[in-house]
Amino acid sequence: MAAQGRIVWVSGPAVRADGMSDAKMYETVTVGNSKLVGEVIRLTGDVAFIQVYESTSGLKPGEPVIGTGNPLSVLLGPGIIGQIYDGIQRPLKELSKASGSYIGRGITTTPVDMTKQYHFIPTVNVGDEVSAGSVIGTVQETDLIEHSIMVPPDHKGGKITNIVSEGDYNLETEMATTEKDGQSVPLKMFHKWPVRKPRPFLKRYDPTVPLLTGQRVIDTFFPIAKGGTGSIPGAFGTGKTVTLHQIAKWADSQVVVYIGCGERGNEMTEVLVEFPELKDPRTGKPLMDRTVLVANTSNMPVAAREASIYTGVTIAEYYRDMGKDVVLVADSTSRWAESLREMSGRLEEMPAEEGYPSYLASRLAEFYERAGRVRASGSPDRDGSVTLVGAVSPSGGDFTEPVTTHTMRFIKTFWALDAKLAYSRHYPSINWMNSYSGYLADIAKWWGENINEDWLSLRSEAYGVLQREDTLKEIVRLLGPEALPDEEKLILEVARMVKIGLLQQNSFDEVDTYCSPEKQYKLLKLLVDFYKRGQQALKEGTELADIRAMPIVGSMLKARMDVKDDEMPKLDQLEVDMQEQFKSIAGVKVQN
Amino acid sequence: MASDSALEGTIDKILGQTESNILSGLDSALSESKQSLDDSVITLEQEYDQIISNGKKEADKIEKQIIGSSDIESRNKKLTTVEESIDKVFTKAIEEISNADRSGDYSNLIKSLLDESTKILGTTEITVFTNSKDKDVVQSTLSQYPGAELSSETIDCLGGVKVKSKDGAMTFDNTIDAKIERLKPLIRKDIATQFGVGN
Amino acid sequence: MSAEGGVQYSKIAEIKGPLVVVDDVSNAAFDELVEIETNEGERRLGKVLEVGNGKAIVQVFEGTTGLSISGTNAKFVGKVMEMPVSREVLGRVFDGLGRPKDGLPDPIADQFIDINGEPMNPEQREYPKDFIQTGVSVIDGMITLVRGQKLPIFSGSGMSHNLVAAQIARQASVIGKQDDFAVVFAAIGVQYSEAEYFRRSLEESGALKRSVLFLNTADDPAIERIITPRVALTVAEYLAFELGMHVLVILTDMTNYAEALREISAAREEVPGRKGYPGYLYTDLSTIYERAGKLNGKKGSVTQVPILSMPSDDITHPIPDLTGYITEGQVVLGRDLFRQGVYPPVNILMSLSRLMKDGIGEGSTRADHGEVSNQVYDAYSRAQEVRALAGIVGKAGLTEIDLKYMDVGDAFEKEFLSQATDENRTIEETLGILWKIVSKLPKNEITKIKDKYIDQYYKEQ
Repeated sequence: MAAQGRIVWVSGPAVRADGMSDAKMYETVTVGNSKLVGEVIRLTGDVAFIQVYESTSGLKPGEPVIGTGNPLSVLLGPGIIGQIYDGIQRPLKELSKASGSYIGRGITTTPVDMTKQYHFIPTVNVGDEVSAGSVIGTVQETDLIEHSIMVPPDHKGGKITNIVSEGDYNLETEMATTEKDGQSVPLKMFHKWPVRKPRPFLKRYDPTVPLLTGQRVIDTFFPIAKGGTGSIPGAFGTGKTVTLHQIAKWADSQVVVYIGCGERGNEMTEVLVEFPELKDPRTGKPLMDRTVLVANTSNMPVAAREASIYTGVTIAEYYRDMGKDVVLVADSTSRWAESLREMSGRLEEMPAEEGYPSYLASRLAEFYERAGRVRASGSPDRDGSVTLVGAVSPSGGDFTEPVTTHTMRFIKTFWALDAKLAYSRHYPSINWMNSYSGYLADIAKWWGENINEDWLSLRSEAYGVLQREDTLKEIVRLLGPEALPDEEKLILEVARMVKIGLLQQNSFDEVDTYCSPEKQYKLLKLLVDFYKRGQQALKEGTELADIRAMPIVGSMLKARMDVKDDEMPKLDQLEVDMQEQFKSIAGVKVQN
Repeated sequence: MASDSALEGTIDKILGQTESNILSGLDSALSESKQSLDDSVITLEQEYDQIISNGKKEADKIEKQIIGSSDIESRNKKLTTVEESIDKVFTKAIEEISNADRSGDYSNLIKSLLDESTKILGTTEITVFTNSKDKDVVQSTLSQYPGAELSSETIDCLGGVKVKSKDGAMTFDNTIDAKIERLKPLIRKDIATQFGVGN
Repeated sequence: MSAEGGVQYSKIAEIKGPLVVVDDVSNAAFDELVEIETNEGERRLGKVLEVGNGKAIVQVFEGTTGLSISGTNAKFVGKVMEMPVSREVLGRVFDGLGRPKDGLPDPIADQFIDINGEPMNPEQREYPKDFIQTGVSVIDGMITLVRGQKLPIFSGSGMSHNLVAAQIARQASVIGKQDDFAVVFAAIGVQYSEAEYFRRSLEESGALKRSVLFLNTADDPAIERIITPRVALTVAEYLAFELGMHVLVILTDMTNYAEALREISAAREEVPGRKGYPGYLYTDLSTIYERAGKLNGKKGSVTQVPILSMPSDDITHPIPDLTGYITEGQVVLGRDLFRQGVYPPVNILMSLSRLMKDGIGEGSTRADHGEVSNQVYDAYSRAQEVRALAGIVGKAGLTEIDLKYMDVGDAFEKEFLSQATDENRTIEETLGILWKIVSKLPKNEITKIKDKYIDQYYKEQ
């Protein structure tokens, strides 16, 4: 029996209704005469506390509240890719058909086009046993996505008694029927799943494969693994969004879920305009063909912002269960935490630090725990992953605030953005001293096997130069650079070259925006070789000024923009040029 | 002319279910006010032309900043003139209403006003205030509302009722004055349209 | 207009700060407009912040000074607060609640629009990329403004932000077709003289007839400031999206807005976030700033230049901090430059325009624009480091190249940044000065510009 109550109190997105003793926790309800969508978040006696996902302006006590009997769920089936949804999976395109340029209220839509035909190829036969998660067939969702039609995770399994033959069907069609203990259950191309409940899987693996993002400071210095977790905190103006966009564009995953959670409207528009134009460097297809957007911008209702994270991660898990690598980017988890804080305040809960509820940490932990590289349930065997990357917007750029500190407990890669670097236009402004990656050891094997076995040692050398520079900078600040011996001046010079030639990356430059692992490795090797040869040359009496003046220095700094991914011999040539130029300045010395 | 029906529609809004005798009482007001509208359109146009041509002359002499402010000035003058005409229409209409005949179906109007008021307040336990002219009509209608009583105090208004719950916590002003006040912004637009102002 | 509204309630339970709590309310909606009437017949406006269990909490815009428990009535109007709009609002002056302040009648409304606006559907937005030439070199060259952007000026007390904003409003307005342009100016708790400066500035440029002014000055009620930016933006949206105008909205000073918000939050005894500001300050500010933009299939645009003074020049203060997270960049004025008499005193290193990359380049400004501005950013940043170093080790301790960077820094401030308040530079002039500055560096220091542009524009000195 669905609950039927009446509103007794309204304050912003928070509504109390009485007569709700039949309501369940986290049940979705329709609120008021204009049928707004809400969710029950607390029950006291027959009074339900409801967070409303749409603007409550004009709502009155006395208006009805009606339960749906279902928890907040997403519809999972072909048609999701390429969409832009709001926080509760309403397609924004459909909303605009109903309410024009602005987001209207009380509009019901289906998340995907239920009438669109997909070409279905069955992969099981009548008589086969299937269980929860098993694939019964596939459809081509976009050029890039082969979509597995799966038995829903809460299905009891059974024997296939009927399945349609290969052909074009829409989402409403009954594709197959299973039977167990005399009960037959129809299967369609889609099912629903509650967003707050992680989708089950068979087992979890250790993340050992790097998620390649084409961003040198990430892949080479602070890598993240497929199925891993990462966080990118930074004050405003540090280029957080650009970095996240870069990950969403170039990560070597099959599916990208981008959640704009309490951020700027124009940023979502930018993705919508740009992604269909950009080509996936590996497949040559438009990036939009693998991307789903969940947009709940800062001025959209705050409760739906809270839900948007769960909507996004559930979609990500669904594609993971097909055996795909999925990257989920959430910008920004701080705004999500603020929506928790706002609802908590309206519930008059006892606040913990800075007004955030005491369960902030556990909610963050639950979210990041939904990342992972897993073996999916059912047959056939499929391995997929969900990589979670969450932006954090610390107030005042202060990393000791609650959202940043709690997030750091649950993630393994930390890309600390630095306002000082951004002010000097060093982008991406990931600070190499404050950032870390817990996956370095796990993924080094991959680089060793696929690129070159000395990758880890080169990376350590280059990082060592940056660390040395960091301590030397203090001395320079006090005494000026001339106070240092030449060996240390060389370190400063090489550190500058690493910063300009490797760490900095221009995401608006056609060539530099994406850097293949081979190119990253070769640039790294050039720099480390330069350092070693420079040290050697100084020992043999070469002047530092001569080393600095070598034309190769300029070429190395511009190589990231000048050399395209398919022009690797050019980098090999630079290596040769460098050797020769070092020889020539050594020669000058001997003759003197 | 369309202006007749527009104004009629306007007045309809004010009076709701007013009976035909009141409307016919208003007919003369309508024609009079239309006359005053027409008159003022002419004077308005003349004044407007005058100001514009003055402005143009000035503009020839001085810089564009003066054009800007004179444009505004002439426009503002126009706004004021329009407003004066609107006021005239209102004054005329109000005069007609306050002099309207209180016999016959006027009681239906009072009844609908009382119905609306009791519904909004959610009770018939009310005290009703009205002016001296409407007192008798109101008194005779009140018998249909158990618990309702007419206050001996009269209020200053054109007509209609003001209703207060017996505990004094809620008041609903349903006088014709209040109704006109609520609809005034819409009516102003209707009238102004006839001057070719306000789109 | 709902027929349901209009009931007046006279049982006032409590008056605290800007809030009035009304008892025994049976018919009121969240966000509803309320008319508070005193026994003396004075009327004030307010809105419902919370309603339920027979109580309504009403926020009174004009303050509660002089209200009493027994002598106050609250009429629930039956609709949210609306602003009457028409083309005739151009050239008008309103108070902070959108009521005429110029002695003229209420605008004859073409439409009545909910002042809270509705969130734009991100799918329906058009990505802003049309360059606005402001004639101010540092903005056009380094922090480019585009139509539909929200680009605040972060200033400090006493600095020249009003001069900058007025110069932008005057000069930006002459680009493109005159008729298409409008300026909406909202004074939020600023001194009368500042508002008057702005009005005069628009008048002198002849732009007043295409401007709408909303004035809540320092001596006007503080809570009214919650409404002022909203009525201003409601008018701006109407002009932009109904009448197809390109509207520049200047909101000054948003710090006063945030303080009014804090006052209400404190009166409601809410758990405060940082520095006593409510936890929802970010969300609230976004409902103002996000009203900038362009829409698919509509001709006009709303560009916002909010001005805010940073308390103690502290950019990490919650107001500039949260603003910076919402706006598409920021123009930061520097106290040091201001003290040296530089106008406009823009600290470019802390400033940024996020939409610049799409608003410049071939077809809008010039192909080399992005790269030359990047190089100047880089050079100026180096110049600042060198200056700091020179402060310690003296000029003698600097290398030859360091000295070149110092030169670049000086030239940047003297020749590029500095500009008269009535000097309107074209983008060509602006780029010319940038190249002049870059040309002070030896070619091998230029790492951010492609060789073809260096060949074309670099002039060795």
